[in-house]
Amino acid sequence: MSDPVESARAVLERADQLRSRLAAEFRDRRVEALYAEAERIARRVVRAQGQRARDWDAHIDRLVTSPIFGLPLMLLLIAATFWITIVGANYPSERIAALLFGLEERAVAAFQWLGAPWWLTGFLWNGVYRGLAWVVSVMLPPMAIFFPMFTILEDLGYLPRVAFNLDWLFRKAGAHGKQALTMAMGFGCNAAGVIAARIIDSPRERLIAILTNNFVPCNGRYPTLIMLATVFVAAQFPPAFASFAAAGAVVAVVLLGVAVTLAVSWTLSRTVLRGEASAFTLELPPYRRPSILRILYTSLIDRTVFVLLRAMATAAPAGALIWLLGNVHWGGQSLARHGANFLHPLGHAIGLDGVVLLAYLIAIPANEIVVPTMLMMYLGAGMMTEVSGFDEIRRVLVDQNGWTLLTAVNLMLFSLLHNPCGTTILTIWKETRSLRWTAVGALLPLGLAFLVTFAVATAVRLIG
Amino acid sequence: MSPSTPAAIGLELLLLGAAGALGAWALCRGWRQRRQDRQRALAEDVLKHIFTAREEGRQADAKAIAGRLAMAASKVSAMLARMEAQGLVRSDGDALRLTPEGEQRALHVVRAHRLWETYLAHQARLPTAQLHKPAEKEEHRLTPAQVEELEARLGHPARDPHGDPIPSASGHVVAQEIRALAEWPAGERAEIVHVEDEPETVFRGLADQGLHAGQVVRITARRPEAVTFTDGERQYELTPLEAAQIQVAAVSAESADCAGLVRLSQLRIGEEAEVRRLDPQLQGLTRRRLLDLGLTPGARVTAVLSNAFGDPRAFRVRGTTVALRNDQAALVWVRPYAEPDHQAEASQR
Repeated sequence: MSDPVESARAVLERADQLRSRLAAEFRDRRVEALYAEAERIARRVVRAQGQRARDWDAHIDRLVTSPIFGLPLMLLLIAATFWITIVGANYPSERIAALLFGLEERAVAAFQWLGAPWWLTGFLWNGVYRGLAWVVSVMLPPMAIFFPMFTILEDLGYLPRVAFNLDWLFRKAGAHGKQALTMAMGFGCNAAGVIAARIIDSPRERLIAILTNNFVPCNGRYPTLIMLATVFVAAQFPPAFASFAAAGAVVAVVLLGVAVTLAVSWTLSRTVLRGEASAFTLELPPYRRPSILRILYTSLIDRTVFVLLRAMATAAPAGALIWLLGNVHWGGQSLARHGANFLHPLGHAIGLDGVVLLAYLIAIPANEIVVPTMLMMYLGAGMMTEVSGFDEIRRVLVDQNGWTLLTAVNLMLFSLLHNPCGTTILTIWKETRSLRWTAVGALLPLGLAFLVTFAVATAVRLIG
Repeated sequence: MSPSTPAAIGLELLLLGAAGALGAWALCRGWRQRRQDRQRALAEDVLKHIFTAREEGRQADAKAIAGRLAMAASKVSAMLARMEAQGLVRSDGDALRLTPEGEQRALHVVRAHRLWETYLAHQARLPTAQLHKPAEKEEHRLTPAQVEELEARLGHPARDPHGDPIPSASGHVVAQEIRALAEWPAGERAEIVHVEDEPETVFRGLADQGLHAGQVVRITARRPEAVTFTDGERQYELTPLEAAQIQVAAVSAESADCAGLVRLSQLRIGEEAEVRRLDPQLQGLTRRRLLDLGLTPGARVTAVLSNAFGDPRAFRVRGTTVALRNDQAALVWVRPYAEPDHQAEASQR
């Protein structure tokens, strides 16, 4: 036996020489050989039977990707999904709210009867519990309707067709075609969308997908959008069209989000992240019959309950914090008032107010609780103790706190564009391992949100 | 609030002074580090120059280096003296040669440069004209271990995107007989194997015209003021200066049977064809991906779907439907199954 290091070196040397003699396309030959062998085996053991399913697939594909009907059909599907959610969520929301807030009243009464100190009753029931009740009643019904429908589309195999229809736009934006898919994931949850960006190989395009994922509203933000669309946009229309108008408004916001995604991707790929669009291949899998059980499981357990639990986990401390802010006084005013007053000039400049900004600050851990936080702060100062249903939300916001259509529109815009939630920011850091890109991922949307809402508010005020 | 007693002012001044000293020290250290890095990078550039000069059969001397690195002659000679003392180079009259140690370092830098260019072109998909600059920086940063890992990940490529050979870690180079484009006999087919990437302006001009390594061309006319040639689709006319940047070799076996093929992107919806070959421009991940999808020579493909913008389009291959962007489908060469009127229509398109 000679020296193992020496003999290893000799082997490497030999490999070096042999490698140079390989034809340039020897890898192609190897794949060809593999396919030939696979084909030979398949011919022997697989028998094809019938062409019907395949023909059906081809017909459906020709329709949903058709140059004429493809895009309108896609919009129609999205709009229908939102419309069903809006129409279906209204009534259950009211019922759940009535039930949960009724419980709060009785619990408060019971605590008083037992002689508990006022701050304990307030902290536990008007703080922690009310935060939870708000989150459940505002979020649960839309999610329980939206997620199963979204999961059906996913399960059918429709999403790759969406990517196919939209790819041209992403290519023009210098982004990867798979970004359409990570974007679709973002509709579910931006943190999931950011992780999904791993499917993109090119680091440059992956970064673009990560940084722009926040511009599609995640389900944490749908309740905000749906509530605003129902309360403000729908109210401008006669009742017969109200729900369509609300669905239309949400679709408009989503489309705006896609447009912003493309615009920001375009800008990034021409400035800091310069480069060409990379290779893109997309498989269009055959359509599958959705499995009801799996849909119910993924949409209700994996998504609805997961999101709801996460929202509740942040809503409980947030509720406590809000109660404290509302009930700890300093210099004759509650801390919440101080905070809101301090933020008010900035809020006013972008067509919102101090309370909304304060709510967004408190809701950084999870966007889901923005609306409940806002309402609790408005109500903490006001006289109503119980709000059920969208009509009363409208009364609180418009009649008592001076909201206008501008406030609603700007809040929708702000909700679409502002910084990602804490979980997403953390995920961006985990995925990029770079503080710089994490900062960009958080501050770029925030800056854009301020810029756009400020521009809209100023324009509206100038016009009158 | 404000410090009123002399003691407080004194303390504050002391703290400020300490902070200032710390800052200055950190700055100085950073500056020295940067200076060292710059010196090392310059030395490596000199080694690389001597290495590539030998590759191209030129003589490397102090004058050429001064011109190449845009440095004063006095600085160059001081630097060469230092490198000679370090045992990296030795002078042989006017000519400069590499010592074994210098050879090793030069080999590392050249490999780092060419592999990084390959990585940028194939994996990060930067356009060919944008490869050189980042590689000029990265070649001084990569460690030998990183270079070897990169080489393995790229599948031990023999040539970089410009056609320059990538030597193996032991300095082994795949030999190929090459000639200048202008010297190739007119009328005979040749394959472009190398497009020189310096000077940059000339290279950019060539890249913008779509000239690239792997292209098969035929010279149609050679005059003192211009060389004209064709790749079967386009006519090119280059000045002798431009043509000197391009080196060609005999057509490889893989490129030989291109005649009568059309691009996959040219198929009409519903049309069927047989895959013949993937263009040599397709490299790295992209090539592997297309092969994995089953687009191997002999496979049957049918164009089936097109979206509203006509890009991407979807193809049926081996029982699955796959969408490809047109610029990639254009790099897959296919032979349509005989249809009586196809030839006529293909020529119209």
